[in-house]
Amino acid sequence: MSYKSNNNNPDRVKEILDVIMSYAKFDFSKKTSIIGNDALDAIGAGVNMLGEELESSTLSLKEKEQLLKEIHHRVKNNLQIVSSLLNLQSENILDKRYLDLIIESRNRINSMALVHEMLYSSKDLSKIDISEYVQRLSLGIQNSLLKNDAKVIFHYDLQPDMYFDIDRMIPLGLILNEIISNSYKYAFPKNEGRIDIEMSQTNKHYKLVVKDNGIGLKVNFDVKRDSNLGMQLIYMLAEQMDGKVGVDSVLGVAYEITFPA
Amino acid sequence: MDHLNPPDNATELSLFWTWMGDDGICRTKTKPLAEITLKEAMENSVAVSAFYKNKKFPLLVDARNVKTMAKEARKHFSTNGRETKITSMAIMVKSPLSRVVGNFFMGLNKPKIPARLFDDENAAVEWLKTHLL
Repeated sequence: MSYKSNNNNPDRVKEILDVIMSYAKFDFSKKTSIIGNDALDAIGAGVNMLGEELESSTLSLKEKEQLLKEIHHRVKNNLQIVSSLLNLQSENILDKRYLDLIIESRNRINSMALVHEMLYSSKDLSKIDISEYVQRLSLGIQNSLLKNDAKVIFHYDLQPDMYFDIDRMIPLGLILNEIISNSYKYAFPKNEGRIDIEMSQTNKHYKLVVKDNGIGLKVNFDVKRDSNLGMQLIYMLAEQMDGKVGVDSVLGVAYEITFPA
Repeated sequence: MDHLNPPDNATELSLFWTWMGDDGICRTKTKPLAEITLKEAMENSVAVSAFYKNKKFPLLVDARNVKTMAKEARKHFSTNGRETKITSMAIMVKSPLSRVVGNFFMGLNKPKIPARLFDDENAAVEWLKTHLL
């Protein structure tokens, strides 16, 4: 098949390339001009139609992203409503045991709500920056549990550029919530102390270390026999991530959670 | 034999001529340098459907003069998601431009009914005859 020659080929090729580059930058406002019926017109028409299809797919993708954001937003709002209801409930409770149970439940809910909040406000709707999450979560727990005269400080050693999807972030957040809450509740009778949180990644594993410099576990503490719901949750959630839990109580209490990368 | 020369009684639209052949195959031919949008595509479908008399029929489309066809028009012609009176569609292409438009239509819009591109009118008519009811 022979195509008609065109004296303005270099200009027309440049025009078509410009349009292709615009499409590559997701700018679909440009179209190539179809002025005749030669090979370049045919290529130009193909580029134009490809742009229309790409624009349509891009819009569809943006709509889906928006929908996903909306879902995360709503889940987070619903979780916050439950958390607020627990808050309201706690105002009428005088028994400290029940009050503690409500605060524990509320913090668990908040740790999950934070995951959804960070997902809908992030550019990438599928991943969460672990470093940011850990710091926001720990400060949230501090606000919830800290007594007026307490001085508990956090020290972070978090490897940058680590991201988790929601399936990992929820159990990890709950684990952190339980460990930090336990430290606040039991480690610092004088309301002073320090909690270190380290998170790192090797080729095969992630490692989370949370340790406090408090009074440590009681002598002859047996995990199976003596652990509370919070501690049981730590083991269950670690298992859910195919992870292992190590507990050490030489100077304060240190948890080491490792799970596959 | 010229199967695509519009007769005097052809329905003339802004960008098409449409008529029913004696062989039971409907024809539609684009006017030179036709830039088809959804409006013209729908106009064409109404004209084609007007030939329906309790029996669906094949359609021979002469797209050799087409210049551009908008995405919405391609989607409409694909008959996806809408009722149609045609059993099949043979599309005549010749120029590079019409081939690109035709291939795009076939490749991306995937017509719901049997559809093929032809550059030979007789071959197109023979194929459509196999879709007469």
